[in-house]
Amino acid sequence: MEIQKTVTGDSHEILLSGRIDGEGANRLEEEILKAIRAGAGSIYVNLSGATFLCSAGLRVLLQYWRQMKNTQKTLLATRPSPEVDSVLGTSGFRELIVEKI
Amino acid sequence: MEIVLTNQSAHREALLSALDTFAREKHLAVSVRQAADLALEEHLTNVLHYAYQDSGRHEIRVRLELEQGYLVIEIEDDGKAFDPLSLPEVDTSLPLDQKPMGGLGIHLIRKFMDEVRYRREANKNILHLRKRLTG
Repeated sequence: MEIQKTVTGDSHEILLSGRIDGEGANRLEEEILKAIRAGAGSIYVNLSGATFLCSAGLRVLLQYWRQMKNTQKTLLATRPSPEVDSVLGTSGFRELIVEKI
Repeated sequence: MEIVLTNQSAHREALLSALDTFAREKHLAVSVRQAADLALEEHLTNVLHYAYQDSGRHEIRVRLELEQGYLVIEIEDDGKAFDPLSLPEVDTSLPLDQKPMGGLGIHLIRKFMDEVRYRREANKNILHLRKRLTG
């Protein structure tokens, strides 16, 4: 899984490419934690290049969505690929996490 | 096709490669392959996390075959007896603040496969999954 990061002010975008399997979820968590430690006010996890998403990835997104919300900050997933969108939708996460454009 | 993994070196890459080969040879629809990929990832993760209480080597057998319009997957492990279908269904309508962290893996298996059955046979857990090849 490849990760690219873009920081604009206190907005951090994490662009993932490849499989968000168990190992990918661990890496995603590391990047989210780096962004939090760097003082991110908003974190966007761009899923346009993700080819796979499993429950481990969902749990990371949910855990840090809650943590950011509890500190009046934002974490959202954006632009899910079709493969990932079906997992988000089936698990009841799509409408709630994905940034509404 | 049968692939044998162990709890000590789960060789996910080997399993993925075998699934891709099987999908290509049998001309599986992308959606069928993706559902199988997800179900295998979820169940194997649960087996590796929860099935074993020792540090010994354990085999996990994954069988793939086509049968009467279905992709059939069986995952067999010799871990402690556990029926993943005994877990309560996840309520996906709950808001994110209240969503449980647990149970998502088996929820995805149930939703992405058309049939999910468990049996305990000769000290083995066997999860039997079916996915329609079309429709």
